[in-house]
Amino acid sequence: MDDLITRREAMKKGLLLSGSLALACTGGWPGQALSEAWAVENKEGFLIEGVGQTPGYSVQELTKKVFDAAGGMKKFVSKGDVVVIKPNISWARTPNLAASTNPEVLEAVITLAFNAGAKKVRIADNTIHNAERCFALTGAGMVAKKTGADLIHPRSSLIRDMKMKGHRLDVWPVFVPLVEADTVINLPVAKVHGLCELTLGMKNWIGGVGGRRNALHQDIHQTIVDLARFFKPTVTLIDAIRIMVKNGPSGGSEADVAVMNRLILSNDPVAGDVSAAGLFNMAPASVGYMVLAEKQGLGTSDLSTLTQKKVTL
Amino acid sequence: MKARRLIRIRRISQGFFLALFLFLLVQTRFPGTAYQDYSVAVTTEQDIRVGYPVTFFFELDPLVSLTSLLSGHIWIQGVFWAIGVLLLTLVLGRFFCGFVCPLGTIHHMASVIRPSLKRKALIEANQKRGSQKIKYFLLIAILVSALLGLNMAGILDPISLLFRSLALAVFPAVGNAIKGACDVVASSDIKPFNLLGYAAEEIASPLFGYGYPAFQTGWLIGALFLVILFLNRIRPRFWCRTLCPLGALFGLFSRFSLLRLEKNSGACTDCQKCTLACQGAASPGPGADWDRSECLLCFNCFAKCPEDAITFRFRWSPAQNRGPDMGRRAVLGGLLAGVSIPFLGRLDGQVYKVSDPRLIRPPGSVEEAEFLKLCQRCGLCMKVCPTNVINPALGEAGMAGFWTPVLHMTQGYCEYTCTLCGSVCPTGAIRAISGREKVERPIRIGSAYFDRGRCLPWSGNGPCIVCEEHCPTSPKAIYLRPHVETGEDGKTITVQLPYVDLKRCVGCGICENKCPVKGRPAIRVMAAGETRSVRNQILLDI
Repeated sequence: MDDLITRREAMKKGLLLSGSLALACTGGWPGQALSEAWAVENKEGFLIEGVGQTPGYSVQELTKKVFDAAGGMKKFVSKGDVVVIKPNISWARTPNLAASTNPEVLEAVITLAFNAGAKKVRIADNTIHNAERCFALTGAGMVAKKTGADLIHPRSSLIRDMKMKGHRLDVWPVFVPLVEADTVINLPVAKVHGLCELTLGMKNWIGGVGGRRNALHQDIHQTIVDLARFFKPTVTLIDAIRIMVKNGPSGGSEADVAVMNRLILSNDPVAGDVSAAGLFNMAPASVGYMVLAEKQGLGTSDLSTLTQKKVTL
Repeated sequence: MKARRLIRIRRISQGFFLALFLFLLVQTRFPGTAYQDYSVAVTTEQDIRVGYPVTFFFELDPLVSLTSLLSGHIWIQGVFWAIGVLLLTLVLGRFFCGFVCPLGTIHHMASVIRPSLKRKALIEANQKRGSQKIKYFLLIAILVSALLGLNMAGILDPISLLFRSLALAVFPAVGNAIKGACDVVASSDIKPFNLLGYAAEEIASPLFGYGYPAFQTGWLIGALFLVILFLNRIRPRFWCRTLCPLGALFGLFSRFSLLRLEKNSGACTDCQKCTLACQGAASPGPGADWDRSECLLCFNCFAKCPEDAITFRFRWSPAQNRGPDMGRRAVLGGLLAGVSIPFLGRLDGQVYKVSDPRLIRPPGSVEEAEFLKLCQRCGLCMKVCPTNVINPALGEAGMAGFWTPVLHMTQGYCEYTCTLCGSVCPTGAIRAISGREKVERPIRIGSAYFDRGRCLPWSGNGPCIVCEEHCPTSPKAIYLRPHVETGEDGKTITVQLPYVDLKRCVGCGICENKCPVKGRPAIRVMAAGETRSVRNQILLDI
């Protein structure tokens, strides 16, 4: 199981990473590109639900079908783009415990991004548990190795103060790779949470910041909305292949997990979360940050205003 | 064999073992490149292990095996290496000191590169002295103390000392400096600098660790290491000659060694070149008997003698060697110290009477009395811990437990399924448990309790569930109950009050570590409730 790569390879990887960062710089640091992309944002919201019905279906195939239903990955990723994926790999737990984003979904999204012409795909999450253990146990490390994506270690030099201009958060330390990209794909796993009921797409951005983030729980709903507004993912894919229905968000037992075989893709951060809340039989109105996000104009909870599609496999 | 060739072989050997020691030291960490294959891992978590035999030097070291045998009555894993070294010492003498010991090599380099003494002063310094008996005193004190149930060997054992000094002081200090520089450069607004900072960190982090590692008493460990290095300016290899208890053990075993230095007094011109180059102050020159037990087998005298008056030969007749010059005082003093230390050490009552709430041992640690018999205070567990929670103790474990591992939850926490520390412990003071055993038994290292005066919801200062959120057990040991609290202004807020279920709590400390209440966290872990102790418990049935 200890699949060790040699030091030479590790060094090569390091150089590749720094080299790619350099390339990304010379190509114009994409902060601006990001905001431009949002200026010409697709007016039409969509909500795609993918359901794996046949036993033994391919999760990767389902992921592809879901993106295809939204117009294909090429709609979000242009040739030469730097793509950053924000999974939830914050807990050093194995994939069967549904505490982290399903590695097969992660792998599928990376492969789709590369096939759409992405120059670089990065996986970035400021983990709660020790990052190296998270990478090893959640399967993200394996996926990175397999696909050639860069797994970015959340080290302090990559976490810098940024202006958020939120209602609650004005200036806060941000995990930089998440904003320095052309395309941002939010890839959370659906779980219950002791304080804010559910952790889905918008809540996932707590993993995008550093600093005294444990103090954010003192005003969690406004914080989540501020973060969701700041990070503005190009698209959010909620992994509900396995969801955590109790003991969230850390879980730790298969008894906490329900197998739903679902994926929810949306470009509306509120709608995605609202739709996923249904999997837990929970009314969006009872989740503070969803109500607040809609009120502050981040998206809609009225799913009928969106283009809805359902794909099955 | 030609003397020069012997010297070359010695240098290659010294370089090889020092490099191996450093390599294994760096590898004593969570293997960052070990990825679990998730297609296999979907049903069960496999234990991640360091991929290298990082305890190798501790297996080679007979003092580690001998003290573990005397105090804990166990043969440690890999003991045959130590037996082999002792057998070879019976034949060759202190070859380990001259050819293998990485600390000896460092002292050798410190003495030879830019020596502080020249010519006459150096010849004078290389004369044999009474102070060289101190090491026998220390050895006897360590062995007697071990026999009486307190293993102090690791404080002075060269392998433990070097590992501890490098892993807990030198590497973290250098690492922090590099990391600090990287952070400064990386925060620059000039892109090339910025990238240079990232790249440098990418290369340095695997060597020195991610982030800013911290070790309590690390400054003391580092300062003592520097002092020991500077002693080489008083006399070359001061440590090896005067203080090293392992060297003393090898000195005793070289009593009947077959490889001997032979002096041809007729050819000697009394040029003193042999004494000038002697590393061990073993009287290679004329006028005195060669001190077998002091000779570090560096072969410098052999190589330097211009008249070929010194040779090394195998001689089969025993008892021609001079016995080790221990002196009655060293022996009696050692016995006295060895008897005193364990009993004085127990006067703090840690073993039988009191239970210091701060004495939180790594998961899988054996019961305290047994722990003090086995722990070498080497620092392997502290180095390997991915969250940097394990620290060398100052007062937590009493005098007897100085520098043994304790967990400081404000610095890190014990990861729920991680069992790396036990897997690298050279003597089994921390048992090599599996992740499954740790979780399913479960192995508790302590228990958490709330400080309701500081806890945000309990003190009416606002909502917070951070401890509950992070609690890793399933079901969670920390649970919440809604509560309506009236503030000073008469307004009511609904908060969720956290409680600890002691039956479920394993004492991992992530709650204390992640608690937003800084300074002294509002939830803290104490050792009570630890699985390893029958006495240190809270609940009637657990």
